[in-house]
Amino acid sequence: MIRLTGVHKTYGRATALDGLDLDVGEGEFFCLLGPSGAGKTTTLKTVAGLERPDSGTVEIDGEDMSTVEPYDRGVAMCFESYALYPHRSAYDNLASPLRSPRHRLPAAEARARITEVAELLGIGALLDRPVGRLSNGQRQRVALGRVLVRPARAFLLDEPLSHLDAKLRQQMRAELKALGAVRRTTTLYVTHDSVEALALGDRIGVIRDGRIVQTGTREEIWYRPRDTEVARAFGRPRINLLPGVVAAGGVFRSADGSLEVPVGAPVREDTEVLLGVRPRDLGLGGPGHALTGTVYVTEVLGRSVEVTVRLGGQQVSLIVPRGDASGLRADDPVRLTVRPENLLLFEADRPGRPGRRIGKSAR
Amino acid sequence: MSTGKRLSGVLADLALILYFVFALFPIAWMVILSLKPADQLFSTYFSFSPTLDGYRTVLGDSEGIPFVRFFVNSLVVSVGAVALSLVVGLPAAYASARWRFRGSENLMFTLLSFRFAPELTVIIPLFVLYQKLGLFDTYVGMVWVLQLVTLPLIVWIMRSYFADLTPELEQAALLDGYTRRQAFFRVALPLVKPGVAAVSLLAFIFAWNNFVFPLILTSNEAQTVTVGALSFLGGDRPKYNLTAAAALVSVVPPLLLALTIQRYLVRGLSFGAVKS
Repeated sequence: MIRLTGVHKTYGRATALDGLDLDVGEGEFFCLLGPSGAGKTTTLKTVAGLERPDSGTVEIDGEDMSTVEPYDRGVAMCFESYALYPHRSAYDNLASPLRSPRHRLPAAEARARITEVAELLGIGALLDRPVGRLSNGQRQRVALGRVLVRPARAFLLDEPLSHLDAKLRQQMRAELKALGAVRRTTTLYVTHDSVEALALGDRIGVIRDGRIVQTGTREEIWYRPRDTEVARAFGRPRINLLPGVVAAGGVFRSADGSLEVPVGAPVREDTEVLLGVRPRDLGLGGPGHALTGTVYVTEVLGRSVEVTVRLGGQQVSLIVPRGDASGLRADDPVRLTVRPENLLLFEADRPGRPGRRIGKSAR
Repeated sequence: MSTGKRLSGVLADLALILYFVFALFPIAWMVILSLKPADQLFSTYFSFSPTLDGYRTVLGDSEGIPFVRFFVNSLVVSVGAVALSLVVGLPAAYASARWRFRGSENLMFTLLSFRFAPELTVIIPLFVLYQKLGLFDTYVGMVWVLQLVTLPLIVWIMRSYFADLTPELEQAALLDGYTRRQAFFRVALPLVKPGVAAVSLLAFIFAWNNFVFPLILTSNEAQTVTVGALSFLGGDRPKYNLTAAAALVSVVPPLLLALTIQRYLVRGLSFGAVKS
């Protein structure tokens, strides 16, 4: 269990963490998602005790950590830079925690444990090599292995899959979550990749400018994003956001007047808003509100097709099965449909402040 | 290849040869001088009957000048100064590379100022102090005063080595369960070994070559080769051949040292080479 309360951290004039609150449950796999510079790594290092917060508290397993040294916190961390000992072999790097005074294992047991972890990560054949002669992907797996070889109260993983090639990353993503050690251990996992966060996280925390914007299960984050930026962070292609106002009777009217959709939102008339629809929630035909436009471009993505449609002055993208989109040409008129429950309504974005979501949950 | 390029290549070679002659001539001169018999010292430069008598005299403790002892003194004092500087300087360099604290930059600058302030500015007060404290003409006194030479060198150069190491390496060691001290000795220090070798050699040479401190702060017991070699110039007749032989003998230790750690020198003197 990890709990951060009101953690502030500045470096000179730059604010890294600005009152960060975070609660990770026992045994939970928690993904921290955010752009670079949002404070993800600082958060991990604060939990590890490598950075001291200017104010705020860090608790691990209910115990205040403010006077506990990093080596006594019992957490293991995988650094984004790997931080492997360059003068030692891959084996010695993996063995390092097991030779330390606090996690020492007899040499034979350590060897068995290291071999097991190395096999799991597919680096069993590389153990004798100096880490200088490993590829980045291999180094990253050694770094992950150094975390997994030892028991820990928490694993702190800083983009541990970022340097693997696409295929291996997908495979390791699946395996990582299934590992016994990871399932049993509280894990705080940092990433900038929303697909990774959705795939791995029991819960996800979205971090921005040193603050947690939203935490929740993947469903909560996906269906009830707190603001436009969270909505934009998840899903490729990105969510469609159409600017407009709420007119009389709770009807959304797009900025150019070409589009009217009833949204029944509890807002004053003439409020400037953004209407959000995810590309996979738009269909060609079927029940729901209808929007008419013309095809701009289509792009085949294997079994499905990404269609970009012009609605008045706006473009929206949608993903439909290939069968539905066959025969669509540029400039063909199309009728798009969306179920009312899949519509998201946001306040208009203002500079430096993304628009909040309005209204009750869509689900 | 064009003739122009070839010509400039030849010219460059010529220039290098000229410089080579210029740089090596004093050494050649010393070798010749050291091989001259005493009665031919002032004869034509290149025609004499060569003899090793000069070396025999210098190493044989004759003429009433204990050159061998000066030589041993130099070794003891230089090695001692470098060793003490390493013991004090490596942790200091590491600390100053990793932590900024109030006055840390001033402290570092003060240390550096020992190097650029002429030794002569402090030598008189030091002389008085050493007389009073009983450090005059002792090993301890010499090792101590040579810290002014070796310590700033070691701290400043090693600081840049440590600064080039990412702190995440030691942080990883902390999370592996090692204390800060163990992280320093097991992770940081082994990675700057080439730097330690290179800077130790440099410091040794600076300490070995120092002239002013032993000149003023020693008289006999702790006197070193740099001052000792000059003793042959005293007396009724300057014995240039003995001074030359003594000087050449005193070149041997730094030279041998440089050759043995040459492997590290190449890596060590190219700063930043320790990055992975």
